[in-house]
Amino acid sequence: MKQDVDYDIFNHDFIWNPFPMFEAVRESESPIVHSDKWGGSWMPTRYEDIVALAQEHDVFTSREISVVPPPPGQLEGPYGGVKAPPITSDPPDHHWHRRAILPVFSPQSAATYETAMREFCNVLIDGFIDAGRADAAADYAQRIPVNVIARILGVPVEMSETFTEWVRGVLEIGLTNPEVRRENRMKIIEFFVGQINERKANPRENDLITDLLRLEVDGQPAPLEYVIGACNLMLVAGIDTTWSAIGSSLWHLAGHADHRKQLREKPDLWPTAVEEFLRAYAPVTMARIVDRDIEFQGCPMKAGDRVLMTFPAANRDPRQFDRPDEVVLDRQNNRHVAFGAGIHRCAGSNLARLELKVALQTWMERIPEFTLVDPTAVTWAGGQVRGPRQCLVSF
Amino acid sequence: MCAIAAPEVFGSDDIGNATILVGGELPADLEAKARRAEGNCPERAIEIVE
Repeated sequence: MKQDVDYDIFNHDFIWNPFPMFEAVRESESPIVHSDKWGGSWMPTRYEDIVALAQEHDVFTSREISVVPPPPGQLEGPYGGVKAPPITSDPPDHHWHRRAILPVFSPQSAATYETAMREFCNVLIDGFIDAGRADAAADYAQRIPVNVIARILGVPVEMSETFTEWVRGVLEIGLTNPEVRRENRMKIIEFFVGQINERKANPRENDLITDLLRLEVDGQPAPLEYVIGACNLMLVAGIDTTWSAIGSSLWHLAGHADHRKQLREKPDLWPTAVEEFLRAYAPVTMARIVDRDIEFQGCPMKAGDRVLMTFPAANRDPRQFDRPDEVVLDRQNNRHVAFGAGIHRCAGSNLARLELKVALQTWMERIPEFTLVDPTAVTWAGGQVRGPRQCLVSF
Repeated sequence: MCAIAAPEVFGSDDIGNATILVGGELPADLEAKARRAEGNCPERAIEIVE
């Protein structure tokens, strides 16, 4: 049965609080709904369905992964083939696309950034702690992942604000404004073309971009499109997502004195608490493109249809999680899919988990008590990545 | 996730799929960690057999 509800993923109320809508659909007779808005898409809401979709990568392909179709003309021109491998890749290329970037995200490699991360968080807090108030999203959360990613990519950390602007242009503002999206995509590509040319002239040691340029595939250097695309992915996927998770977690803590107290008194709660914030406030919704006509859970999906990978809805499914709408800091069994599942599960999850832990712990050590200045003044972004964008707190 | 919850038991291959580092019988001191990995795997890929 095809159930059209014409949901709008950019609707203000949905972005501010999508969970009532997810629940209503999930508990209805048609837990997968369809909308014609924004190029048309299917939205599954049950955990089992979303995991199954993620695991069936031969039917639900990653040839496009944005929740709205690309702007007209994006696939044309000299950089039309630049995507974001491996997240936009299907097998067999997916495997070498993923293999090439994975080592920089191993737990051991991620851990080498921990000290610098903690220092940077402290520098940010030094900047506002005496004022007694700060924007936990814009002055703190937003600034941390971009600083880490710039170090990993070996690009100037002084450009962090510019990178953030580009990424928001592609992933946030640009999703409802094709011109902004196209413009910022080109800025990112042109920036990395410049970085690549610079590395070709002056190769560096222990440098990701140099290593990607040295990568050989079947005896040939990896295509330039791949190298630009992989850099593009790290910038785009590594910034907005983790920043949104940090922001949502701080927003939650600002409104829950009991949870602040628990984390202060029982620091051994941190590992499960981080997973629980990821579950409850999973920032990312991806998309898949249906490869061939298929009936999935009674829904007649056509080749080329877009299916939203509604991980935030999966993570609140009562069939999978006891008390799904409650944040339970010591939740023991937590098979959340904030990082997805299947072959495309997040390559940077070790780094993201570390960033989230360090950012939240450092904040709680320095600012153990804080509250929202005005809960109604908090603003959210959503669509592809959901998280607070303005979140003023006082302490 | 499993490689973080129980690094003595699970590793990962070159494309990030889990591998098992301890063959056969699970040492008793690692059971709690392995159980945590089992209960937190979104792929349902881990089953500890008594």
